[in-house]
Amino acid sequence: MTGFLAQRLLQYILTLIAGSFAVFVATEFSPGTVSSKILGPYAVQSQVDSLSARLRLDDPLIERYGRWLTTLAGLTDNPMAAKEVGLGLSDPRGTRYVGNLGFSLMLKEPVIDVLADRIGYTILLTVCSIALIVPIAFGIGVWCGLKAGSLLDRVLSTLMAVLTALPEFAFAVGLTLVFVIWLGWLPGTSMMLPGDKWGMVSQLVMPTAVLVVASATYVARIVRASVVETRKRPFVRAAELKGLPPRVVVVQHVLRNALIAPVTVILLQVNWLLTGVVVVESIFAYPGVGSLLLQAALFGDIYLVQALTLMALTVAVGTQFLGDLCYMALDPRIRVA
Amino acid sequence: MKTPAPHPYLPTLVGQLQRQELDRREFLRTATLLGMTAAAAGVLAGLPAPAQAQAAKPRGGTLRINTTVYDVKSPPTATSTAHPLIYSQVVEYLARTGADGVTRPHLLQGWQPSADLKSWTLRIRPGVKWHSGRAFVASDVVWNLTRLLSDEVGSSVLGLMEPYLLNKIDTGQVNDKGRKIFRHEWWSPRAIEVVDTMTVRLNLKAPQLAVPEHLGHFPAVMLFPEERGVFGPGSIGTGAFKLTEIQPGRRAVIEAVRGYWGEGPWLDRIEFIDVGGAETAIANALVSKQVDGAFQVLPDSFAILRNQAHLKFYEAVTSDTAVARMNVRNKPFDDARVRKAFRLAADSQKVAELTLGSFASAAEHHHVAPVHPEYARLPAFNRDVEQAKRLLAQAGYPNGVDVEIVIQQNPPLHLRHATALQSLWKDAGIRASIKTVPNPQYWDIWMTAPLGITVWAHRSLGVMNLSLAYRSGVAWNESGYANPAFDKLLDEAEAMPDPKVRSSKMAEIQRLMQEDGPIVQTYWRKLFTFYDRRVIGFEMHPEYSVYCNQLALSAA
Repeated sequence: MTGFLAQRLLQYILTLIAGSFAVFVATEFSPGTVSSKILGPYAVQSQVDSLSARLRLDDPLIERYGRWLTTLAGLTDNPMAAKEVGLGLSDPRGTRYVGNLGFSLMLKEPVIDVLADRIGYTILLTVCSIALIVPIAFGIGVWCGLKAGSLLDRVLSTLMAVLTALPEFAFAVGLTLVFVIWLGWLPGTSMMLPGDKWGMVSQLVMPTAVLVVASATYVARIVRASVVETRKRPFVRAAELKGLPPRVVVVQHVLRNALIAPVTVILLQVNWLLTGVVVVESIFAYPGVGSLLLQAALFGDIYLVQALTLMALTVAVGTQFLGDLCYMALDPRIRVA
Repeated sequence: MKTPAPHPYLPTLVGQLQRQELDRREFLRTATLLGMTAAAAGVLAGLPAPAQAQAAKPRGGTLRINTTVYDVKSPPTATSTAHPLIYSQVVEYLARTGADGVTRPHLLQGWQPSADLKSWTLRIRPGVKWHSGRAFVASDVVWNLTRLLSDEVGSSVLGLMEPYLLNKIDTGQVNDKGRKIFRHEWWSPRAIEVVDTMTVRLNLKAPQLAVPEHLGHFPAVMLFPEERGVFGPGSIGTGAFKLTEIQPGRRAVIEAVRGYWGEGPWLDRIEFIDVGGAETAIANALVSKQVDGAFQVLPDSFAILRNQAHLKFYEAVTSDTAVARMNVRNKPFDDARVRKAFRLAADSQKVAELTLGSFASAAEHHHVAPVHPEYARLPAFNRDVEQAKRLLAQAGYPNGVDVEIVIQQNPPLHLRHATALQSLWKDAGIRASIKTVPNPQYWDIWMTAPLGITVWAHRSLGVMNLSLAYRSGVAWNESGYANPAFDKLLDEAEAMPDPKVRSSKMAEIQRLMQEDGPIVQTYWRKLFTFYDRRVIGFEMHPEYSVYCNQLALSAA
């Protein structure tokens, strides 16, 4: 196990370095410079050149990447915060500390503060969504799997297929038209700000509903398929012939063996919920990391994009690791090498 | 200090008003530019006094306004008209242009230009204090203007005032990209003078009519010198509010201060709420009363919002526009015949309707709007496809041309605009493909792309955008247009305070732009928004300015 953990940790670090370097190289080919993004479109060329010189932006790519890495590792100061650069940027933690991700060019704040504000909301939405997705998906999926071929199973399966195919934005707009514009029962945006006349819970209803519908229907279909497949296995037939109660057959024999595929899919959904719900966050103005990544990418805020990439890689590696542990728990035959 | 004599042109203006050769609004705008107080000009123009409104407004309450919440650490480097909505409530301008297009002194009590418009004496308003209690004085103005015009700060005010206050010096060095390194300095040691503690004088190297307008340019706020140019929560200003909290991209909060020198403030607190870039989110927030007003609303949301009983509609006719700009450094736009062909192949009325519906009016390809006091009415510029084809053939393109037009991704009206042009140009053999780029990336290429659509905000005088965009060699001349005849006409126009006289010069400029200019300009925008009916004192400003010290909330 120790070897397994060490191997995974090494893979994680190498993945982060490769990913961050790839983003650095990609932004090298995007239009504009850090200076022009800071000063905006109306600064004259001499002003942009002056700032570029102060920030040493004309140094080779490898040197600039190395500077970013050493700043992240807390070995060097963040050049953008230097007094002589004159940008007036400040970080309450100082200019040199481990985990210094630099400043957001778009928001002129330390990246770590920008992320900290948004990650909490993303986790909240993820938790609320998963808390509904899992019971709904498993409830419908197991029932349909056990009653495969029945009229209700066919109706539910068709409904799930339709809802899975429905784009999130279409469903979101439909909900808005009915519950915000027509009925006025729910707020139009989910900004999660204090003092809003709508409480936090009512602001969470619509983004959560859209995510639950988008995910639960898909997971339910996977659960159904897995249950149907497992029920055909000989050991399930043997358990039934032994005279075990149906509930015991389902819970101890069918479900346990049917869980591996659904667990994989659910962990992928967690990955998506934590890093990629751009459409829902944009439509409902929800302050999560998905909409932040979109805005940062469109702006060309390379330091924020870097940090969000690292976060996405961390979530991906983490959910993969969690998945491996779940497989070992579900199937004793699976062990790490 | 001896009070300078009034501008010698003022009696002429008064005469024109009396003979009804000038309407009241044009008189007001020009008279105040030349240093007459707005009150005196208003009396002469027979307008009612506005002062009574102050007593009628209720006090207290919190207002929530939707806007993009930008970082405000460096107001001098503000990049859009949305940027100052927050910081301009704390730190203020020397002059402000109202929704009526009249520029009035604000932190200044008044100004006197010399007869040749090359010397401007600015008088500080007595009684204006910083939040710290210190008086606002002439040295504060000099410190701020010097800073705004420095290379290190990077403010767009430099590009605006460079033609008449600065010299551009070639240092003789080049940077790593091979570009020459320039620096700027005052054109003369006497370019800016402290006459006394309450008076500053600007001595210009060229006549300039629009100095007061430039002093109200959105980044040109007066910062508290002791804070050395860093602005943030708790910063000291002269405004009616103090910034107490800001989270860029999310929210900012300002709270009323006691003892403000001007009107109000009536509200206790204002929250600026950022709902991200989605237009639907702005409309939804207004419908569900999560915000009381919005910085701007686009036409796509009008239908939903106009049916909301609690919302009131506000509109302004402006010179806000978007130009399809041809970069003359690139073929085929280096040929004036091609440029004219592009204009002749377009139909301004159709493009305006397709782009913005009833929220636009047709333009005439010269960037001077009917709302400008010096606008000259020319014969209609009609679409003529056959003439366009002939011009293209004469220029060496008998089979037409293939071009790519670059547009910003947001808002969607840019795509409608480009598509309308694309469709109309096709008839003349102009085959345009449309390339959409994210907004920030457009600003990286706006000065170099051969053909692009650029938004130009409203400015209160016709000469202002012409000087910013088309004068040879200026910082924002995105087209590379360099026509000495145009420059000469513009120099002459900027030295003419009388809008009627200036209008005859503008007619020549407008004709030249239609014949030779680098743009296809098809519409002028009407800007609009919605605010809750409880909000008192709001006016839709053509530059989106909001003067929060004048706002109040009624109880119901």
